[in-house]
Amino acid sequence: MKFFTDREICYADILPPSEVRARIEVAVLNFLKILTCADPAISDLLLINRKSSNRRVSQGLLTEDDTWIFLSRSFCKRSLMRANAAKAFIRVWKVMEMCFKILLQEKRVTQRELFYKLLCVSPDCFSSQLQVNRTIQDVVSLLRCSRFSLGIMASSRGIVAGRLLVQEPDKEMVDCSECGSSGYAISGDLNLLDRLVMKTDARYIIIVEKHAIFQRLAEDRVFNHIPIILITARGYPDIATRFLLHRMSRTFPELPIMALVDWNPAGLAILCTFKFGSIGMGLEAYRYACNVKWLGLRGDDLQLIPEESFVSLKPRDLQIAKSLMSSETLQEKHREELALMVQSGKRAEIEALYFHGYDYLGKYIAKKIVQANYI
Amino acid sequence: MGLREIYITCTHLCFQTVVDRAISDICILLQCSRHNLNVVSVGKGLVMGWLQFLEAGRKFDCISSPTTAYTIPVHVEEVKDIVSVAKYILIVEKESVFQRLANDKFCNANRCIVITGRGYPDIPTRRFLRLLVEKLCLPVYCLVDCDPYGFDILTTYRFGSMQMAYDAKNLRVPEVQWLGVFPSDFEKYDLPQQCLLPLTSEDKRRTETLLLRCYLQKEVPEWRLELELMLQKGVKFEIEAFSVHTLSFLSDQYLPSKIQEVEVLPGNKIKS
Repeated sequence: MKFFTDREICYADILPPSEVRARIEVAVLNFLKILTCADPAISDLLLINRKSSNRRVSQGLLTEDDTWIFLSRSFCKRSLMRANAAKAFIRVWKVMEMCFKILLQEKRVTQRELFYKLLCVSPDCFSSQLQVNRTIQDVVSLLRCSRFSLGIMASSRGIVAGRLLVQEPDKEMVDCSECGSSGYAISGDLNLLDRLVMKTDARYIIIVEKHAIFQRLAEDRVFNHIPIILITARGYPDIATRFLLHRMSRTFPELPIMALVDWNPAGLAILCTFKFGSIGMGLEAYRYACNVKWLGLRGDDLQLIPEESFVSLKPRDLQIAKSLMSSETLQEKHREELALMVQSGKRAEIEALYFHGYDYLGKYIAKKIVQANYI
Repeated sequence: MGLREIYITCTHLCFQTVVDRAISDICILLQCSRHNLNVVSVGKGLVMGWLQFLEAGRKFDCISSPTTAYTIPVHVEEVKDIVSVAKYILIVEKESVFQRLANDKFCNANRCIVITGRGYPDIPTRRFLRLLVEKLCLPVYCLVDCDPYGFDILTTYRFGSMQMAYDAKNLRVPEVQWLGVFPSDFEKYDLPQQCLLPLTSEDKRRTETLLLRCYLQKEVPEWRLELELMLQKGVKFEIEAFSVHTLSFLSDQYLPSKIQEVEVLPGNKIKS
């Protein structure tokens, strides 16, 4: 039950090119209107603030699982009137102009290509890829539309295997359990992913952090013994993988989603990105949040791992742990696990379970699922 | 079995790099390849175009959708029944370039097979390429950025890598020809000055190391000249720079013109 809090929530809409162009045109017209009116002024650009201070948490009333975060209607400005920030103001307009042209041509562009085009058209304004990427996020925050809607394509590192049938429009059905150890590659095209028809007889979805583990599980055809769908982003999750996972969670709401990550802060960080989103992708990231539970590796699995497989936590790990701890969205039980990690000063990888045999991983997963041992 | 899996099982013995070397030593001793010992790496190569093959009973029908990317199978020894109507194989260094070609539907207008190793090619990608060349006897063109990194990837495809030198016979593809991008292409295709990026000190060091490689003297002296030119000018540029003209400049103009040059004057215009 949320009374009027919806007004606070800011999302990036997924729009067709014509609507994005319309929004850009409206932005231009508004600017001109204020510039040419009786009391002329150079209006500022109001962007949804992407700082962590603008993150709001919506707590579920009944369970912790319903918690999700969003960016609220708090704005930061890009203004021509502030000397050291004037360039940022101009950059936003330049990127909008470029995206408008690309959308008119009905094409797509990568962030790198956009960098080169901007570098040549406006060399005084753009000097690095990072600047371009940040400006793109500014445009997303201004127009409230997704990066993909602006015509910017990004590749996906995600793959799926297991008990899932997918069908692209006008194509043949693909059985993800027959895709071998390399799995079904998730396309970077969000429009295509949105139109995928999916069918499943699985009972669980398992996110696997690492490609090697995914490959092992797919090769051993673990999904023939346990009714699961395996999905991986091969490390830090990209938008397309998160988008597809989110679609799966909406299409098959009765399937719990669990993550299999290494016992280290980075593993938990990946779980949290799938679960809550990240500040990097600004407005879009939270849209694809899913209720992800932690299957393993966890504290109670440590007795399965030989002493030699433990490695000390590095300074970078501790940094990540600190950042996770300070997040208000981290669940209590996850917080306890993280505290245990930091306290022990050690980390371990999933591969350590192979100590018990190469087929042990499948048995481990099955046992945990059957015991509903996930948090 | 993956390399990391073996490492973890033997962690009490050594570091992963040591495991890697031990496996290489065993391969040298037994005069076999890694896959003969059932050691596999994770696959990251992609392929698209006018190709069809079977792998462990599964059909890869790239021809039915020539602009869709398919993952290159990890167990290359199980690939058979290769069928193709392509005229050449094009290797691209980066996934973003592969994506650009897919987006521009390059394979619809050009009868070819496009492969990418997404950076440094892994063993399955190299073995797959070699298999295609052996079975199809098609010319192989390689498109990399005009920088030391790209050049290193080009030489990896052609000559193999130092770490896998013992298996070079199975992994190198001597038919690989350097299609582009050359330092001379910068003026030839009218790129603006801003697209030229300066070589960093790391780039320069890398180039100097590359120049020391023996095969550059003996087998491909023309490649060496281009590399020396790059070092001398102190600049590099990426394939994406072509998007400055039009987004599909690479697909519509650069690639077709380069390939046409090759067909008209084989082995002459491009460095082979």
